[in-house]
Amino acid sequence: MEKKRIFLFSLVLLAIAQVFGQRDSVIVLDEVVLSDAKLLHFSKGTKVRVVNDSVYQKSGTSLTDLLRYNSNMYFKENGYGMVSSASFRGTNAQQTAVVWNGININSQLTGQTDFNTLIPGNYGDVVVRSGGGSVQYGSGAVGGTILLNDSFRFNNGWKNSLQTSYGSFNTSKLAFNTSLGKEKTSFHIGINHIASDNDYKYLGTNLRNENGAYDQFNLNANIGIILSDQQIIKLYHNTFSGDRDFSGTLTAPADENYRDLNHRSLIELSSFNERKVSRLKVGHLYERYRYFPNKQREEFSFGQANTVLANYDYKYQLKKITLNGIIDFSSIWAKGTSIENAQRNFVSGTFLFSHELSDKLSYGVNLRQEVVSDFDSPFLFSLNSSYEVAKNYTLAINASKNHRIPTFNDLYWTGAGASGNLEVLPETSWQVELGQTVAVKNIALSLNAYSITTDNLIQWRPNAQGIWMAMNVQDVSQYGLELGFDWKKKWENQNVAWESEYSFTKSIDNSTKNQLLYVPEHLLRSNVAYQYKKLVAFYQFLYNGSVYTTTDNSDSLPSYTIGNIGMDYHWPDIPEIKFTIGVRVNNLFNKDYQNVAYRPMPNRNFQLQLITKF
Amino acid sequence: MKIRNVFLSLLTIGLTWSCSNDDEEIQEPMGDYANGILVSNEGPFSNGTGTVTFISEDLSVVSNEIYKMTNDEDLGNVVQSIGFTEDEAFIVANVSNKINVVNRYTFEKIASITDGLNNPRYFIEANGKGYVTNWGDTADETDDFVAIINLQDYTVEGTISVVLGPEAILAKDNTVYVAHQGAWGQNNKVSVINTASNEVVKTLTVGDVPSSMQLDASGNLWVLASGKPAYTGDETAGVLSKINTASNEVDSNIQFETTQHPGGLNLDGGDLYYKLGDKVYKQSLSATSLDLDVALEGVSFYTMVINNGRLYGTDAGDYASNGTLTVYDLNTKIAIETLSVGIIPGGIYFN
Repeated sequence: MEKKRIFLFSLVLLAIAQVFGQRDSVIVLDEVVLSDAKLLHFSKGTKVRVVNDSVYQKSGTSLTDLLRYNSNMYFKENGYGMVSSASFRGTNAQQTAVVWNGININSQLTGQTDFNTLIPGNYGDVVVRSGGGSVQYGSGAVGGTILLNDSFRFNNGWKNSLQTSYGSFNTSKLAFNTSLGKEKTSFHIGINHIASDNDYKYLGTNLRNENGAYDQFNLNANIGIILSDQQIIKLYHNTFSGDRDFSGTLTAPADENYRDLNHRSLIELSSFNERKVSRLKVGHLYERYRYFPNKQREEFSFGQANTVLANYDYKYQLKKITLNGIIDFSSIWAKGTSIENAQRNFVSGTFLFSHELSDKLSYGVNLRQEVVSDFDSPFLFSLNSSYEVAKNYTLAINASKNHRIPTFNDLYWTGAGASGNLEVLPETSWQVELGQTVAVKNIALSLNAYSITTDNLIQWRPNAQGIWMAMNVQDVSQYGLELGFDWKKKWENQNVAWESEYSFTKSIDNSTKNQLLYVPEHLLRSNVAYQYKKLVAFYQFLYNGSVYTTTDNSDSLPSYTIGNIGMDYHWPDIPEIKFTIGVRVNNLFNKDYQNVAYRPMPNRNFQLQLITKF
Repeated sequence: MKIRNVFLSLLTIGLTWSCSNDDEEIQEPMGDYANGILVSNEGPFSNGTGTVTFISEDLSVVSNEIYKMTNDEDLGNVVQSIGFTEDEAFIVANVSNKINVVNRYTFEKIASITDGLNNPRYFIEANGKGYVTNWGDTADETDDFVAIINLQDYTVEGTISVVLGPEAILAKDNTVYVAHQGAWGQNNKVSVINTASNEVVKTLTVGDVPSSMQLDASGNLWVLASGKPAYTGDETAGVLSKINTASNEVDSNIQFETTQHPGGLNLDGGDLYYKLGDKVYKQSLSATSLDLDVALEGVSFYTMVINNGRLYGTDAGDYASNGTLTVYDLNTKIAIETLSVGIIPGGIYFN
């Protein structure tokens, strides 16, 4: 019944779409080159921040490092480089979606993404989209969505970049990127290898991070071919392989090891003309972990999931109105030490509508219904609008209903003292947000206020028999304020960019009124970069407020302030080759801090880097 | 004037006290934590430290984190249990592979034992030595052992290899009994260790997953096995076994229903008690079948201990905040007091 309705709905949508009007084809080509066009048309009234390329180089190598200093997300890291889970706007790790070229890649097993298993350096851009986005991006887009997009550069020649770096704790990094952009074809390959002993001191003790070494390999490859004036085909691939020893704590040593393997592949065929863009995507996602409780031994436990997906996306432009219908099919198989073969089939229909009422006012209505084989998924929607009140002042508003679906672990886990629960319901979340931006000359100011209420939060608790199970135990609310301030100034041979953000976050258990675990009430970050001729200096500052570590708020971790400083020197030009040499000091003040209790973060450390572009 | 009255009244109490104890030596107060209840709190599982809470005998004073207060350091990760000698307490931190030895009345640290332990669980003193059950590496089902602790220099001076999953441990004269719950898996054995030779002299078979033991006044060892839980795909019933410690033979087995998984065996006032579902049942020592005599209902305890007609039961709450200890009078079945303790209160001891 449900499936039939969606099918009819999509047919109607396609029929409507055929009737409408005209647009410039060059603009359309630019758009189809983008790997995620939903962001372009259907995120008005939503806070979207693009983290650009130069920032990557200044922020280490993992997505955790990048976003810690360039967004207001809080990361719980089990020791540096270890499992890293995000809290976005006070929500939990499963309530932030990570989207790779338009595809949600949160783990099917855990529902979250380990931000230390993604290396942002090879992507064209990383976008932080705050607030609800389940209509556009699916499960988990509650607190926000992180979008990793490959870019295709046609007519861009042959470009290579080799980045090598060495620093404290025997940390070595190698990144090589090569891209070839011709008129009709675009090719890019990026390879990273990062290895570290990561044996930093636990400040204030005589202990070290004995079991924290990591070694990671990452590959990104993409090809784009313009087949005709109306067709383009794009291929994307990403492989990540990580081998980490898992750090102990201040009170317990560790001898664990953890290995990740991820493959992600996608083919996208787009047909377009002035008015319509249709995209057919077919993809495969593979995730696997192996956990060795004692790395000296051979025994390990594992989990893996295969996702096969197909997605048809039809967008139609009628003057000021943009219509988009998407139908998604996916099939997921998971198995592991604690999961018998489990399968889930999934169909979703999405309808996106955006209307520019005038040059100043636009709004959108977006709807989604999913039909999933193993539970009932709620109907989702979002409404958004942005209004340019005055020349420099824009008001944005959005409201949405979002969800987080039960994972394979939540439903199918079987193991000692723990069990999945087939009765568990998806989390549903309602939110509203009001945003204001003022942009004058060199200054940009933004103020966002939001409120989120989530019902049926899925948590693991022991049942009456003492068996841990996934249950819908809690209703929680978040509300907060985010204040952003950017300032840019250019003189003849000087250049300053300063960006800061303060966020106030309340994240509350509705029944006890206590602040939830690991959500800092106050967070302030500030980055400043100064360029004088060939020299660039930068400073990153982070104030992280105190976080509670117990649900009754009886215990907490202290607040901390961290500073990182660095300098890059661009070597005078040699024809066809560019050298940049850089040095960076992390944790300049040698601050003893933890973002997860009893798991210290690194002491002051150094990094030397050489980038060669040719 | 007032001071004199206080002095007089103290003197009177003192006299009364010494009169009723005239066959004992007059004792100095032994320490801040004498005459009360010690609660061991496991602490958060993946990171952090366990703690010990002291509760005065009259339940009026609760002191949390007494080890840290006294010694300014953490006990370690997952405080599994406390074992005692006459003057010392052995606090077992499972994940940290560590036993902190303290004076049981002052809680001042004497030593910590780290070498020679691997997943330590429970401590008992017998025949002048300490015995500690150890799971060994959880991936290896054959490396489980009982560590022998030298009580003079607090080192592991030897090990006794045992079958999978040694858990609860108990001493009768010079014999030590170890219940093999089965670590992460399941087992159904009780090891009998002769502490003169430090050898396993016998391995008895009881019900599946023996979780708790009691010794009665006539020298019988009672072992309560919980049975295999449903998730194993091979659910089995709980069993209450009676072992004759003179012959070290299983005398009798009382079966539960297959879906019944009892735990928390206690002995008080000549009766056995155990918990099952949301009830606490009383069982006569002489019964040959289950009495199913409800002592308390509508309760769920993380751990429970019964002493002098009172039941002390803990609630671990959401396992991420401070738990509570509730004291019930088993005659009236009324809760006398509920006190806040530490995170995941897993052990209750009388000092």
